Amino acid sequence: MTFSATFLETIVYGALIWCGISALGLGALLVRDIARGESW
Amino acid sequence: MTETSVLLEPSTGYLLLALFSALWIGLGFYWGRRNKSFEDHALAGRNIGLALGSATAAATWITSNTTMLAPQFALELGIWGMLAYSMAAFGLILFAPLAKRIRQLMPHGYTSGDFFRLRYGRLAWGIFLVFTLFYSLTWLVTMAMAGGILLEALAGIDYVWGMTVVLAVCVIYTMRGGLAAVIGTDFIQSLIIIVGIVVVGFAVLQNVTVSEIHANLTANKPALVDVLFPAAIMALFNNLLFGLGEVFHNNVWWSRAFAFREGVGSKAFLIGGLVWFPIPVAAGFIALASGALGVAVPSPDMVGPLVIANVLGEFGAIAIFIIVFCSLASSIDSLLAATSDLITEDIYRRLISPAATPERLKSVAQIVTLVLGFGTWAVCVPRIGTLASVLFFAGPLVGAMIWPIVTGLYWRRATTTGAVGGMLLGGGIGLVSYFEIGWFVASTIGTAVSMAWVLACAALSRTQFDWNLLKEA
Repeated sequence: MTFSATFLETIVYGALIWCGISALGLGALLVRDIARGESW
Repeated sequence: MTETSVLLEPSTGYLLLALFSALWIGLGFYWGRRNKSFEDHALAGRNIGLALGSATAAATWITSNTTMLAPQFALELGIWGMLAYSMAAFGLILFAPLAKRIRQLMPHGYTSGDFFRLRYGRLAWGIFLVFTLFYSLTWLVTMAMAGGILLEALAGIDYVWGMTVVLAVCVIYTMRGGLAAVIGTDFIQSLIIIVGIVVVGFAVLQNVTVSEIHANLTANKPALVDVLFPAAIMALFNNLLFGLGEVFHNNVWWSRAFAFREGVGSKAFLIGGLVWFPIPVAAGFIALASGALGVAVPSPDMVGPLVIANVLGEFGAIAIFIIVFCSLASSIDSLLAATSDLITEDIYRRLISPAATPERLKSVAQIVTLVLGFGTWAVCVPRIGTLASVLFFAGPLVGAMIWPIVTGLYWRRATTTGAVGGMLLGGGIGLVSYFEIGWFVASTIGTAVSMAWVLACAALSRTQFDWNLLKEA
């Protein structure tokens, strides 16, 4: 039994998109913290 | 000099090194201005917010081992290998509730050593210090070595010179800026790493499709796409437990639990884990493409940089150079800070000079950081072992500390006998398994033995620990 090409494609593209969203999310979170004076 | 060095001129490598070194050191000095006491230096005033907290959790866990070993895992263990590496994210995710509990139980705590000393007494504290210092120094050495290897492989910079520069830069800004500098630079480094991985990943996919990668693997290395690949499935559990043991015990993470503002810790570790989770797959799949792309891989632990540099040329070499340099810095600085705090608090303050002032403790922490840097450098110069073997040797030791910590934080009946026996038996039997069976089962066996002993001792105990004893000022 082997992993299918579709499965591999899903996890590869899924991981790359997930990373992109994470970077945007961290940036947005910092802007919010700075605006509230809660960054550190 | 390797074949890939021609893809990045040494002058470009030196330029990148100089630019990023100046940036990190400059920020370290800038953010270090407000540090007056040991608490400022070691815990950034205990006031870190959610964005910086989440980013530092993710960035510290994105080590050079993530960006270099994840591709190696994929190359040797296939699809399961990438997924196995991703399991280490659960170390951060499951530490989230512990971080909240730690902050509640120990509002004045500094280190994970404080917990062992106050919860289990001096013998368990001593064993913990031996285990954690061995692990932390091993981790530090593997990353400093990786820095030297990377610079040499990509830009032809001599191994010793490259390793020395990476280490020296981290030592300087950590000494000057303490945890504030570490966490501030971690935020920038985490964004550079994540964006870099996304850009490089999509760029590689412009040269080869996932279907072509899969077809090549099926034809030439079917084990790598095998759902029932035994060693890879064992690696899944091993990495999960290794990640748990590392995060649960190491002062790198405990110092953050103490440093995050009230109410931030659990959210920050959860977000950090979710940010980290896809990175081994995003960085690791590149290794699976080596066959379809016709890239020769003479050294498995360099497969990621080799594929990227070969496929994307100078752009790829520059990108991977920056990604790994940031990965190295984000982890080396954290380890230097956390380990120097551990030595300053647990050894200098508790055993040598209990009356030391906060200013004196800050100076000692800075000196210890410098000494750690020199010590690491001396061990790295001979270039011993491969990255994987050096790091995973410590796996059973950290696995054996999971249950003493979890039960000690939540269960009044957890005992010193359980903690001491769990660490010694789990660590010992785990190490025997490492040599007799293989690295991929060592953490699992070490953790299981420790769990059985710790739970049995707690079940038979009538102790009722007083949580107030952890609130030492």
